Amino acid sequence: MAAEKNLNRHGALPKVTHSGENSLFGSFLFFDNNWHNADYGKDFGSLKVGNDLSNNINTLRKLEMPVSKNDLKKRIYKYRYFYLMFLPVFAMLTVFNYIPMLGIRFAFTKYGPFASPRYIGWANFADLFRNPRFMSAFGNTLFLSLINLALGTVVAILFALLLNELCNKYFKSFVQTVLYLPHFISWIVVASIFYLILSPSDGFINNILGLFGQKPIYFMVSPKWWTPIFIFANRWKDTGWSTIIYLAALCGINAELYEAAAMDGAGRLKQIWHVTLPGIANTILVVFILNLSGVLNIFESVFAMQNPMVVDVAEVIETYVYKVGLLNSDYGYSTAVGLFKSLITLGLVLMANQISKRVKGVGII
Amino acid sequence: MQEKFNFKKGNRGRTIFRIANVVFLTIVMVIMIMPILKIISDSLDGSGQYGMTLIPHQATLAAYEKVFTSRELLLPLGVSFFTTVIGTVLGLLLATLGAYVLIQKDMPGNKFMVWFVFITMLFHGGLVPSYLLIKDLHLMNSLWAIILPLSLNVYNMILMRSFFETIPASLMEAAEIDGCTPVAIFTRVVLPLSKPALASVGLFYAVGYWNHFFNFVMYITDTHKYNFQVMLRQIILDSTDMANKNSGTLVLSRTIENAVVVVSMLPPILLYPFCQKYFVQGVTLGAVKG
Repeated sequence: MAAEKNLNRHGALPKVTHSGENSLFGSFLFFDNNWHNADYGKDFGSLKVGNDLSNNINTLRKLEMPVSKNDLKKRIYKYRYFYLMFLPVFAMLTVFNYIPMLGIRFAFTKYGPFASPRYIGWANFADLFRNPRFMSAFGNTLFLSLINLALGTVVAILFALLLNELCNKYFKSFVQTVLYLPHFISWIVVASIFYLILSPSDGFINNILGLFGQKPIYFMVSPKWWTPIFIFANRWKDTGWSTIIYLAALCGINAELYEAAAMDGAGRLKQIWHVTLPGIANTILVVFILNLSGVLNIFESVFAMQNPMVVDVAEVIETYVYKVGLLNSDYGYSTAVGLFKSLITLGLVLMANQISKRVKGVGII
Repeated sequence: MQEKFNFKKGNRGRTIFRIANVVFLTIVMVIMIMPILKIISDSLDGSGQYGMTLIPHQATLAAYEKVFTSRELLLPLGVSFFTTVIGTVLGLLLATLGAYVLIQKDMPGNKFMVWFVFITMLFHGGLVPSYLLIKDLHLMNSLWAIILPLSLNVYNMILMRSFFETIPASLMEAAEIDGCTPVAIFTRVVLPLSKPALASVGLFYAVGYWNHFFNFVMYITDTHKYNFQVMLRQIILDSTDMANKNSGTLVLSRTIENAVVVVSMLPPILLYPFCQKYFVQGVTLGAVKG
């Protein structure tokens, strides 16, 4: 479907037909050319208040029949099965999400495996900023994830543009399938693959270097090499995956805009600059600030790829929490580190929401 | 679409670009696929001389035979399958139930429920409080400590909700008028219409469970309950990291290590092409909707 829609800009008339399967979702995405321009905020908003339509219906209902206590009871009774259906979700969220939130009180205590928690106020947080290991982990976290974010965004947009220029439908979907593949491989396997092909004894890369008379390099335990390899592994795994959203946005751009631009004498590059990029600017912004709000959450990839030799460049906040909290059982201090991280993340999310509100008039939350 | 390759003046630049584009993307594909192919080829090579070729010197399935006959590796494989199947079923159940309730806009308390779900995306207690919770629940060393926390994935639930919202409300109203209970509407109208969503979210759950390792590292100390990923981690890290050589774990030849890597990545990459058209829509919808 995506491919078909794409044809428009190559001269065919805009089509509204699409293949029969999944017409429900297909229609949702592709009949409305401007969904990516208009609907982000609204739909995020719907999480809170419902979309405009149902809001209007609600208002109408309120006008028609004033809500009395009796009526509320009736409505609750009408929906009784739904409350029952929500119960398992409610229970799981309470146990596995809300109860751990109460656990942040340990951040203000000294707490180990053999002693009950003892209140010590803000001492853990004061320790935090004096601890060079934490500060180094904090710096590494920011460094690794900001590079990841910047490079990831640029590379993803670039690949989306290149994929979009492919004219052969079958080749395009083949490339996409291959590019998505690494996303489905676990970080443990990715780390294993990199350890194996970069192995100094009989790894693929060192074999090639050997041809040029290079001595084998022990890549994974070298602090100099680890960071670039980690960045590369991230791009290797997720470049294809992150193009999906941009490709969808590219399909949503009205083909007439390209025709108009071509008529005005714009070449390909100019079309990309003046039509394509502004057309997906909203998508880029939303994806970027969503990712930005998660910069401190980098974890699984690092945990899988790090080893004791490179800990200076490879320690991030979460791996530090894991080591101090679970391996050394310093529950109080490590909860404080975790809380510090969660609060900054929350702040970043809210900030991202504000930016989005200012730029587009609607929040993403 | 059927622009022919031609080198006439005016089209020349465009044609050169298109050829370069295809060549570039082909090179990228080779880079993407190369490490995987190399590992597969090495796992089939009995000679132990890997070198730089992608064709095994002595093709043999001996390594796989070893993987599928040794108890130390079969047990983790079983654990992986168990957690993946149970977890995916449970996860789909929770995601669909939650999503179905969340689309009931007229339901008293709907707004509260939406926020109740949504807040968990904004703030999380963190690693250590979760660990202490599992300890308090006496779930340490139980596979439920892996299955339960992952089964409620808010992202998947919101994805499901976005799919459900595309089902015309008139269908559900019609079923209601015909005397269907909400449960019957759910099982007879909503679920049958959501097969693409079920495939896509089911794939996310299955891949998530199959690839998961960290909860095992945190909550499981009994090595007999490790899944395949954790086993793989031990094998590779212990054999590569000379400084940390652990005498307790299996010592395997490189060929078998390669075979273990292949076995642990194969299920997801065999599964996903079949769901590709669904999850592409899923991701798009999810990112649009939140």
